[in-house]
Amino acid sequence: MLSVKNIHTFIGQFHILEGVSLEVPRGTITALLGRNGAGKTTTLKSILGLTPPTSGEILFDGRSLNGRRSYDIASLGIGYVPEHRAIFRDLSVAENLKIAERKRGDLARKETLIFDLFPDLKRLIHLSGTNLSGGQQQMLAVARALVPDNDLLLIDEPSEGLAPVIIEQMMIAIKALSAETTVLLVEQNFIVATQLAEYYVIIDEGRSVQSGRMADLVDDQETIQKYLGAA
Amino acid sequence: MTKSTFSLSNSLGLLALLLIMIALPFAIALFDGQSPAAVLGSETGSAKFIQGLLIEVFILAIYALSYDLVLGVTGLLSFGHAMFFAVGAYWTGIAFKSLGWGVGVTLLALVAAAVVQALLFGVVLARVKGITFALVTLGLASVFHIIIQATEFSTYTGADVGLQGVVVPEWIDTVDQRFRFYVIALLATFGFYLLYRRFVDSPTGRVCVAIRENEERALALGYNTFYFKLIALLLASITAAFAGFLHTVHQPIVSPNVASLGFTVAALLMILIGGVGTLSGAILGAAVFRLLEYYLERWFGPSASFLLGLIYIGLVFFLPYGIIGTWHISGFRLKGVTWLLERGRSQN
Repeated sequence: MLSVKNIHTFIGQFHILEGVSLEVPRGTITALLGRNGAGKTTTLKSILGLTPPTSGEILFDGRSLNGRRSYDIASLGIGYVPEHRAIFRDLSVAENLKIAERKRGDLARKETLIFDLFPDLKRLIHLSGTNLSGGQQQMLAVARALVPDNDLLLIDEPSEGLAPVIIEQMMIAIKALSAETTVLLVEQNFIVATQLAEYYVIIDEGRSVQSGRMADLVDDQETIQKYLGAA
Repeated sequence: MTKSTFSLSNSLGLLALLLIMIALPFAIALFDGQSPAAVLGSETGSAKFIQGLLIEVFILAIYALSYDLVLGVTGLLSFGHAMFFAVGAYWTGIAFKSLGWGVGVTLLALVAAAVVQALLFGVVLARVKGITFALVTLGLASVFHIIIQATEFSTYTGADVGLQGVVVPEWIDTVDQRFRFYVIALLATFGFYLLYRRFVDSPTGRVCVAIRENEERALALGYNTFYFKLIALLLASITAAFAGFLHTVHQPIVSPNVASLGFTVAALLMILIGGVGTLSGAILGAAVFRLLEYYLERWFGPSASFLLGLIYIGLVFFLPYGIIGTWHISGFRLKGVTWLLERGRSQN
């Protein structure tokens, strides 16, 4: 479904991605793994055109995303859940969901699904984003990506800074939504990543260095130590 | 699902305020020993003077509202906002004085001019962001400021002396029809406030707020943010140009200062005093700004500027979110305290 071929991305003068390639099969969760600063978030932003690659190719359902603007890429059916619980804090929960509509009636059609996954949001519907806890903000950020009909969701660090009980809830939600859409997930928490994803891609110093089935990676302690520093 | 910031009590409160403001000149006339008819007859006295001062407040309020939409709601830092006002002021003067146009045609042409200048800013908007946008808009406004002061155009603009001798149609002549013009300016202020409130509560307005918070996120949701910013600029440009129209009708001289950076800073001060992005704060800020300026100058003469500076520093220090903004936040705190008290009671 998504094919990234040897992309190079600069932020200012800095060469951040120096050759990232990856494949995301339809209907799966693929985890993008790597140490801090490896280039995982920049890879997601490059796919979405927020930091456009200077070379290489990105294909989504056979269509090239190169040269397209972010809003155009998003409207092709790619949702994005940025890191740091990126909700609009001055808008209410309802407005945060409403603003994510791509077609009139999107929210009405997805309301049941969203509130089944995140029942807390229903209770907080008129509360301003500023007044939500970290976990509630992350739920809202994921829920917002569910409003339009996305074929692919790019999710950045969904478990970052969350309490274990909230991480569990988030994992259930991501698993549930993978039944509806394909997911490319950046996850620093290796245990969470192994429980969610079927495939993985490791990025190290701006390059994709290894990919395959997550089940195989779990047994490969040498790779885990070398690139992820996890035991 | 979206909850509007409007409520019945808000609407009734606004209506009551409007009626009080209409009745105010009559009350002042009675205090001053004049008959209410003196207000309608534009007779000299405190009532006429206060109406004149309040008309200035209303004009500044409309201008400040337009800047609040651009900066406070949409997050566009423009240092050239004074140009929006000045184009309206000068265009009105030239249309009345040199072209002999009536109010209707002048206003239609004014809207066209406002659209053109917003599109001019829009060309910049598509290419630059943040402080670069601020500096380029400052450059555009500076060019306009230089043009209106150029001797080559003095026949039309009055060069550095300013545009003088504008003959205003009798029915809105602020000398003989002070109360009528007072009501027009008052209704315009309320009208623009309600329009802006509606705009901010609309889906388009909510996207503008989202752009202010984080444009990247709005782009990632599939919004072409350029068009939303352009809509905000267009609305602000037309509004500020209309404030400029009222200014020219009310003032005997249109000074080139209305196109200067100082006049943009005045708009910034007004919304800072009232509360950035609150809309009602822009109106309150304009009132505080103009009334402080007038009364401090009257009471303290040349020391007024120094005192104004001190007061502004104090306001920013003690009310960092402006009068309305800080009041909203304090309100939330009070709600928080109430909730904690209730929770404590229920646990006991």
